[in-house]
Amino acid sequence: MANRFGLPNLGIGLGLRTVHYSSILQDQPEVDWFEIISENYLRTEGRPLDFLDAIAARYPVVMHGVSLSIGSTDPLDRTYLSELRALRDRVQARWVSDHLCWTGVAGRNTHDLLPLPYTEESLAHVVERTRAVQDFLGAPLALENPSSYAQFAGDSMPEWEFLGRLAEEADCALLLDVNNVYVSSKNHGFDPIQYLNAIPFDRVVQCHVAGHTDHGTHIIDSHIGPVIDPVWQLLALAHRRAEGVPVLLEWDAEIPSFRETHAEALRAREFIGARP
Amino acid sequence: MTESNRQPTADAAGLHERASATPARSEAPRPALQGQAPSWAEGKLGLRAQQEWFAAIVSTPESEAPPVDERSAARLVTPSKTLGSLERLEIYRRGYHARLIECLADDYPVLLHALGEAAFETLCRAYIARFPSTAPSLNYFGRHMADCCRSEPLENPEFAADLARLEWAVVLGIHAPTAPALGFEDLSQVPAERWPSARFTVNPSLSILRLGYPVNGYLQSFRNGESPALPGPSPSTVAVYRTGRSIWRLELEPAMLTLVEALAAGETLQASLERVQASLAERPEAEAAALVSTCFRHTVSSGLFSALAL
Repeated sequence: MANRFGLPNLGIGLGLRTVHYSSILQDQPEVDWFEIISENYLRTEGRPLDFLDAIAARYPVVMHGVSLSIGSTDPLDRTYLSELRALRDRVQARWVSDHLCWTGVAGRNTHDLLPLPYTEESLAHVVERTRAVQDFLGAPLALENPSSYAQFAGDSMPEWEFLGRLAEEADCALLLDVNNVYVSSKNHGFDPIQYLNAIPFDRVVQCHVAGHTDHGTHIIDSHIGPVIDPVWQLLALAHRRAEGVPVLLEWDAEIPSFRETHAEALRAREFIGARP
Repeated sequence: MTESNRQPTADAAGLHERASATPARSEAPRPALQGQAPSWAEGKLGLRAQQEWFAAIVSTPESEAPPVDERSAARLVTPSKTLGSLERLEIYRRGYHARLIECLADDYPVLLHALGEAAFETLCRAYIARFPSTAPSLNYFGRHMADCCRSEPLENPEFAADLARLEWAVVLGIHAPTAPALGFEDLSQVPAERWPSARFTVNPSLSILRLGYPVNGYLQSFRNGESPALPGPSPSTVAVYRTGRSIWRLELEPAMLTLVEALAAGETLQASLERVQASLAERPEAEAAALVSTCFRHTVSSGLFSALAL
């Protein structure tokens, strides 16, 4: 099923990381696309943008943010949104994404992806703000399901229902992180298949895969190491529901060489071509 | 005055990306200290109040008890099969501090080395409590580190503050606008009669630091893979700037400093060179003239200027 927004299948991409800048620019490897962390290129006029401009001139780029704070009860930061839009136009980003979370309140930014209570109050709040952001950007926003380590006693619905209703009511796109589904399923004790079964796949414009750290009592979404097989299996399932959806590997701790990182991303081929 | 004292800074310095991952240091939740039941404990909280509550817990220094006890925490956050409510919240508290400490460590790798991990982490925790982030980007989060070094009980706060100023100038250089470096080829196009009235625009990334400690040499030793001893005080002036993708640190001798500051203030080339000449009045005239010439050539070849107005 192609996504309803007509956003393209970019193929298999990688999260752009500074340790790989030199090898990318020097070797010009064949990579389908890169995802950038938007905030690394905001509030700077210098070298980060020099590198990004050179890479965006050669490769398709998608913007992935960590400070939109769509669930915060603080007002939307219009200056930040203007900067986001300007960066998107500068690098011709194919789309803009962020997380279903909040990052701060009362003017402070924790720079962490904090969990929302899944209630009718939260849903109405996030729907309204997502619509406002999309109006501002003039384009669909893709929201990603986060990894979480806490659930609220006041939750009135599971995350998958919240995400599905949000997508429908705000008419937004989804970035489905199957590693996050796995991590949260272990931390909260739900069935990841049940989660995927509830996702409106016509709204999924991108999938994430990543490694994580299992501490026995809980799993941390550390983006370290290779992707484990159960996460690849979730990707295979998601990809069957959202055929042609682009896939991206995030690797953020103990990052290996570009060649090794890219090779891990390309392992997705083994799973997205799979049929039951 | 030689080219050899212009030193590049390692390419990736200050450029560590912020990511959506949870920092590895937030891993295992320690048994949380028990806080007190807050006044709202029996009431129902709306979204705003829950976020204020959550943020207060997350940002409470890890050396302190969280502002909530287990029973009260469980009213808002459910325990899992393996972790209590406070332990689950502790993951976020540790993640918050770990992420910001990582950010400061990226901006101040040499200060970390100089202080040692434990003292640096203590300094960072004080920093985080005093200067919480209010911006969407972490690019400028570390800008108060020199102030923090002076106000915290460090063994040698002035040395640490000078080192922090130098490392922060590197970060500023990374994020400053990119400008072309004016070279001798550009200057060769200038008719001789226009030279005296020429005015130079300094590289927009330029920071000039007057330092009480020789921290540039200390930083270079660290970059060379050495383990330098903490130096005693010795005044110096260092220019930090970027040409292309390279950050440079250049120790400015007095004549060069005079020239750069005069040109940066908008004085003409003739007036600036006369100022340098005057600063060398105690030297024999021929030697002073040669030094002025060397000084100018060195200043230009170092890439300190980006434009010329005639």
